[in-house]
Amino acid sequence: VESRTADGVVGNVAPLRVIGDPAEKWPLTPGGFEGVPVVLAFVEEAPIVRGPSVEALRAELRGLGAALVVVSSSDVWSFRPDNEFERRASAADISAGDLSELRRRYGAPFGALSVFVVDAERRLRFAQTAVAADVRGAAAMATVVEAISAAGRALVASSPRAVQVSRRELVVGALLTALAAALSEACHVGTRGWAPPTQPSAADVPSSLNEVDVTLQVNGAPHTLHLEPRVSLLDALRERMGLTGTKKGCDHGQCGACTVLVDGRRVNSCLVLAVMAQGGKITTIEGLADGDTLHPVQAAFVEEDALQCGYCTPGQIMSAVGLLGEGRAKTDDEVREHMSGNICRCGAYPNIVSAIQLARGRVRS
Amino acid sequence: VRPFAYLRPTDDRSALHAAAENGSEAIAGGTGMVDLLRLGVSTPARLVDLAALAWSRIERSADGGLRIGALVKNSDLAYHPDVQERFPALSQALLSGASPQLRNMASTGGNLLQRTRCSYFRDVAIRQCNKRLPGSGCAAIGGDTRMHAVLGGSDACIAVHPSDMCVALVALDAVVRARGPNGERDIPVEELHVLPGARPDVESVLRKGELVTHVILKPSPWAARSVYVKLRDRASFAFALASAAVALDVAGGTIRTARVALGGVATKPWRSHEAEHELVGQAANAATFRRAAAAAMENAQPRGDNAFKVELGRRVVVRSLERAAGAA
Repeated sequence: VESRTADGVVGNVAPLRVIGDPAEKWPLTPGGFEGVPVVLAFVEEAPIVRGPSVEALRAELRGLGAALVVVSSSDVWSFRPDNEFERRASAADISAGDLSELRRRYGAPFGALSVFVVDAERRLRFAQTAVAADVRGAAAMATVVEAISAAGRALVASSPRAVQVSRRELVVGALLTALAAALSEACHVGTRGWAPPTQPSAADVPSSLNEVDVTLQVNGAPHTLHLEPRVSLLDALRERMGLTGTKKGCDHGQCGACTVLVDGRRVNSCLVLAVMAQGGKITTIEGLADGDTLHPVQAAFVEEDALQCGYCTPGQIMSAVGLLGEGRAKTDDEVREHMSGNICRCGAYPNIVSAIQLARGRVRS
Repeated sequence: VRPFAYLRPTDDRSALHAAAENGSEAIAGGTGMVDLLRLGVSTPARLVDLAALAWSRIERSADGGLRIGALVKNSDLAYHPDVQERFPALSQALLSGASPQLRNMASTGGNLLQRTRCSYFRDVAIRQCNKRLPGSGCAAIGGDTRMHAVLGGSDACIAVHPSDMCVALVALDAVVRARGPNGERDIPVEELHVLPGARPDVESVLRKGELVTHVILKPSPWAARSVYVKLRDRASFAFALASAAVALDVAGGTIRTARVALGGVATKPWRSHEAEHELVGQAANAATFRRAAAAAMENAQPRGDNAFKVELGRRVVVRSLERAAGAA
């Protein structure tokens, strides 16, 4: 059986396969879709479908006798063929736990567009996940709506007498082929194969793309780590290498608690991707002292009592070492200006300035 | 942070190819991009790290100008002796921005293309942001507008362009060199950024796949006496409430050439031709500077909390012109 559009053949719809166990019933949230095929889309953003496009979508769904359910991280939106589309907020009759359970059940990862077709008998007929920037946000919704529209066209163009399948099967077939076409067209990066979820928690872990081997030169020694490109240098130091002297304050480059030196220059390690820090010589607070002999800046911080709670101190010290290496800030005012990237909630600033001025004469640059 | 693939091309051709792919974003210093990744504002499928490319030098041109690689760090640019001597407003602007750590990381190209600090843009829990979700509305208009623009806004967006460096570059007639799938072209920095209009998501005239490779500065007597003044909430490490980059060429007490650009008050690095018009041919004195300042803010459209920026903008223009006249 072929499904056709005005443009020609879009795909073969027979034999219509059932994915997995035919006896398995797949859940739908919310209920109330008995007897109609349902397109189930997991998206990042709640759908932005308003005005005339809602009407057009309803008309398509009415023509197909199918429903659309869109699940975002916090909401479920259902588009029924015979009703207004409605939003079911997570706070109302569906809990956020139910949503993540549904996502887990289907094996739909976060950060992607996953589309499923469940037929009127609740059997799974189509499953595909697309990982691409193009299918996020409003574009994801547009992809799904376009696929439904294409399915409608395919159904209209097909000849009922030529097939020996029920109209429901024809609808499912048209949806299936249109979705496959729309997804492959939308996803220039490519779609991923889908396998039924085996580990209940696997789907909750965001998919990892291209884990890489990263070698970092930290405090004079090489460390090779296997990590994702999204891991920051700060997290690699703290969570993977156990170097917890470097602190996480704001994680946005605004507080300076994570300051380390890369090739002698002070940087915010929270804004450096570990994968980008390869090749540089990284110095953390753990690498400053010479055995039991404190670095002059460390010793000066102790002598001048340049801290209260101490959380910002490693960052302050690393920043001060960088400052002295730069050799630009001389006066107290200049030291204050050049330490502006390190915030101290306790207000130990006067003694920090004193410590830096004390250390100045002791540091060999 | 959403997962993404990471590429580190080592030649220009591969970099341009990778950057032109759908879902690609370029990363240089990372101070803007990594922040936006963590906020969930930027969700690329693929990051293209430009660090291995050769656009990392400051080269002198025969005419005494500079060709600055897009990967040159803000601190290296700010402390370059030629920049300090011939383009002081650029050095001052860079050193007034961010912190020493961030300046050690941030690149010239990244600074040019940095995103707004509008708190509604940066908060993905806010559903209305035409820049982030085109067509969704603007939460700033009718919201907290204290940090927002009084110049160049539209009914769709009033987000401020946050750069200090760009303001100086606009005043210094700098040119951006961009390379893309269809070759290389030069764009005056003044024309690089676009007004939000109905499409705040479109922020520059760069085409898909085009990368900034260099910034080009031409020397001039007035550029060597340029000045940058920045007013902000705290003494250091804060974005501008109002700032100005100005330069004057004064002969016999009369202004022959003037450049006035504003930061912190506009949706793009804002060159004020109106202010310059009031200056050229006039005596370099306080009365002239006040007229120029008034002209600069004449078309300001304050929205509630940001009304103070109109007067602050005037004052920063006057103060910077006074300094420039002193330097002239």
